[in-house]
Amino acid sequence: MKRILLAEDEEVLRMLIVDTLEDEDFIVDEAADGGEAVQLFKENQYDLIILDYMMPIYTGLEVIRQIRSSQENSAVKILMLSAKSQQSEQDMIIQAGADYFMAKPFSPMKLLEKIEEILDER
Amino acid sequence: MNVNSYYKKSLSRQFGVSMAGFIIFFILGSGLLLYFQQSLNKSFKEDRKKIVHLEGISDKISGSFNSAFFDVRGYLALNNEVLLRNAEARESEIISSVRKLENAAFTRSDKEMAEEVREFDSYYFQETLPKVIKDVNEGHKDRVIELAANESTKKVNDFQERLDGYNQELNERLDKRVNQLTKDQTALQIWFLFFILFALLTLYIIIRTMFSRVGKPLAALAAASNEIALGKEAVLPKENREDEIGSLSSAFRKMVSSLQEKEKDLLAQNEELSAHQDELHSQQDELQHALRILRENELNLNRRNELINQISNSLHKQEVLDSIVKSMSELLPADKGLITLVDEDAFASFGVSVSGVQQFRNHIKSGLNVRLLETKKAFTIKREQETAEKGFHEGISYCYDLYLPVLSSRQKTVAIMIFSRYGNPFPDSQLFEYEALAKQIGISLEKIELYEKSEEDRKLNQDIINSVHEGIQLLDSAGTIVQINKQLCDRFFSGKDAAGLTWEEWIALMSPFIVNKHEFSDFILNSIQCQKQEDNEENSLVYSVTDSNQVLKVYCENVFHGKEKVGTVLVHRDITREFEVDQMKSEFVSTVSHELRTPLASVLGFTELMLTKKLKPERQKKYLTTILNEAKRLTDLINDFLDVQRMESGKQSYEKAYAELDLIIERAVEKQQISAVTHKIVLNLDSKENFIWCDQAKLEQVFTNLISNAIKYSPEGERVEIKVYQEDGFVKADVIDFGLGIPEESIDKLFQKFYRVDNSDRRKIGGTGLGLAIVQEIVKAHEGDITVSSLYGKGSTFTVSLPLVSIKKGYEEDVPEKVPAAEQYRVMLIEDDSSLAELLKEELSEHGFSVTWFSKGQEAMTVLKTDVPDAIVLDIMLEKDSIDGWTIIEKIKEDEKLKEVPIFISTALDEKKRGISLGAKEFLVKPYKLSQLSSTIMQTLIKKGKTGQIHVNKD
Repeated sequence: MKRILLAEDEEVLRMLIVDTLEDEDFIVDEAADGGEAVQLFKENQYDLIILDYMMPIYTGLEVIRQIRSSQENSAVKILMLSAKSQQSEQDMIIQAGADYFMAKPFSPMKLLEKIEEILDER
Repeated sequence: MNVNSYYKKSLSRQFGVSMAGFIIFFILGSGLLLYFQQSLNKSFKEDRKKIVHLEGISDKISGSFNSAFFDVRGYLALNNEVLLRNAEARESEIISSVRKLENAAFTRSDKEMAEEVREFDSYYFQETLPKVIKDVNEGHKDRVIELAANESTKKVNDFQERLDGYNQELNERLDKRVNQLTKDQTALQIWFLFFILFALLTLYIIIRTMFSRVGKPLAALAAASNEIALGKEAVLPKENREDEIGSLSSAFRKMVSSLQEKEKDLLAQNEELSAHQDELHSQQDELQHALRILRENELNLNRRNELINQISNSLHKQEVLDSIVKSMSELLPADKGLITLVDEDAFASFGVSVSGVQQFRNHIKSGLNVRLLETKKAFTIKREQETAEKGFHEGISYCYDLYLPVLSSRQKTVAIMIFSRYGNPFPDSQLFEYEALAKQIGISLEKIELYEKSEEDRKLNQDIINSVHEGIQLLDSAGTIVQINKQLCDRFFSGKDAAGLTWEEWIALMSPFIVNKHEFSDFILNSIQCQKQEDNEENSLVYSVTDSNQVLKVYCENVFHGKEKVGTVLVHRDITREFEVDQMKSEFVSTVSHELRTPLASVLGFTELMLTKKLKPERQKKYLTTILNEAKRLTDLINDFLDVQRMESGKQSYEKAYAELDLIIERAVEKQQISAVTHKIVLNLDSKENFIWCDQAKLEQVFTNLISNAIKYSPEGERVEIKVYQEDGFVKADVIDFGLGIPEESIDKLFQKFYRVDNSDRRKIGGTGLGLAIVQEIVKAHEGDITVSSLYGKGSTFTVSLPLVSIKKGYEEDVPEKVPAAEQYRVMLIEDDSSLAELLKEELSEHGFSVTWFSKGQEAMTVLKTDVPDAIVLDIMLEKDSIDGWTIIEKIKEDEKLKEVPIFISTALDEKKRGISLGAKEFLVKPYKLSQLSSTIMQTLIKKGKTGQIHVNKD
């Protein structure tokens, strides 16, 4: 079973994503801010990380940079969710080391499709 | 070449030849004398040698004979044969000596001597000796003795004497010879002396001759030159000589002749020169005359220069006038003088009394001045001196007055000068010069006028640019500041006038204040260098300063004179506000976008899940609840955005009425208490009066927001306190929580839109970041204030202050009697419709106003003259009246006593602009709510007192 780390400060959205993924038998660890996300990443092994952009403590961008700063973590896939929809902002996110980007508001079904696609690639 | 001519041609040759002859003669003479000397010595030496040789031989002979005699006597005595043989041996010696003697003999006596010796020898050895030997051998000694005694001894002795005599003779001969030599030498010496004397004499003659040959002609030449030098005719001795003297003499003659020729020429020239000189003398006289005139002109010019110098030293009018009078009085010279401007009250005088000046000025356009003003020409008058002017003189003496007009360049008489002299007339010939001086003065006065005008213009110009809010700089084409306004000096040059600073200097002074200074100085430099005339693009740069958070924008405009760029105008505008608004706007958009997307994502997401999945009823309910909540959140957000937008654009409307704050807060607390689970809201009402003029719904929103914030930001807290109290004419409400508190640095930004204190605790607490901004807007719209004090980690206190309306609760309770008389405002109602008037009167009275009603404008105007009401309610259309509402307003506004009284226009005409422009307070268009009128009047009177001016009813 695939293990996924989800970092999202909005409780409601967290619930939406967790419900969607858990129905498909993924194991989802939840983090409510950037700090928790980094902590959980250090403690566990994940197949995919889903990050919100605007989060307390560390923003999604900062979390990516921390993860990508270490060479051994270069394999883990990162999907960024953000309300920021401008192309320049998306470019910055991809440059920082995210593999995929999905704009808010997003369709949970499409998110699921995307995740399955990502994990099948591996 | 002929020897003779060779000899004649040169004096030195002549001298050389003479000297050579002399030397040859001298050498020959000396040589001859020396030869004589030598031969004397030589013959002497030879003679002496011969004599000495003869003496030697004589001595030998003598010796030999003596030895022989001795030996013979020895033989005779001793009969020794040896001795005899010795004696015989001597004979040969003697023979050889005799032979020598014969050889050497050169005198007769020598030859005789030699003969005698030979004779004696033979006698002795040939005759005597053999007899003796025979006698001896025979023993005949007696005979021997006899012989000896008879003759031989005598003979021997004679011979010996003869020998001695010969020797004597030889010695004498030697002495004689020596004497001879001495005599010869003396003679020779005398010859020598003579010879030397002769040589010297010859030498003297040669030199004497030579000198006379050179000296004489030279002396003659010298004498001739002297004669010529003295200017006399000199006849030169003609020398037929070919030597140097000859050539000298001929050269000299040539020279003399050429000199004489030249002298003639010179004499001719001299005559010519004399003629020239005479001519020059006459020219010199002319020149001296011209020079005199020039000097006079120079003196005049100097005077004029001095005058110009004096008057151009200053641009101050009075100073210049003073110096004109002083300089002119010295220059003319004059004993007293006066200058006065024709059209201005400005003058200066020298030696004239104040009353004299005044007298002249009073008649400046009459009397003699008329002539001056009309002719515009200088003139003089001669008059008898007055007694005061005469001093101690008696009898008639005269004073001369010079009247001088000062003309402008347009030939207008701008000033009049008068100068007086006692006893000394102003020559008419000088008038022209005086007028020229007056012209100079005219130019100076014009210059001053121009200066004063330009100075005034400059000041006006400076005042204008100083009154502008923006910083303004005018630069010349090199970038030096020509003009700068006060705002800019205060901002960047610590208030000092920066005019005159070069580009480098003022940039250097400004740079420390400017963050992007390189960009700034590049921009300025480009602006200064820019030569483009038709540049419609806006040329500006935004820069921020280091000492505050101001943002400025500098605009550059080039100034052209024709096609030439003469300078640059720089305008520095403070755009801090616009800049911040701009930034906030873009932040607002991005925040709105983010804030809206999150709840939208939930609504859309859950809806999709419900549509695509088969879910259990519990989950369906959970999702639907979530969707509902998120949709509500979305609604709140949108409402908040709209509120903020409305408030910011000034479109928010408030429905204000009198209300008690206590009640509003109580309502808000009740609502919040329902939803607050953990917190208890403690309400502490402590104000005696709490009436305010407000929109109750909006104020309730204020407190709802504040209380919900207090609950949200004190997650660990158990209570929220609210205190209402009265202070300085305000009713205040403190909303106190005991929660997270606010960091000090965030307090200032707290009321900005979307500002949220950034830390993790707070991030979990939801919110739009608009609540406090809305609260502030509402409070400000009520002319109140909201402040916050906070201890970080301990809690915060938000204080809302609202202006207290200190009116009677009376009208609220419909009990006008309770209102104190002093507080009753008196309203004059001018309305021709009696039924409407009744209604209005009733309405106003109900609200505590004392109303006087007039149906006719004229009547009202009469009353207004004596009685001034607090407010006037006026109908414009007074149909049955001779005077309409507009006229009444105009008249009221013209009256000092009445013009401050607020006028409320009540009319069916919608001519609000006209009403307000005339000075009406409010313009109510019929039909309107009756309560609106009373509340409007009340609001105006309460807020502004009785002297309020303009109030426009927004409805």
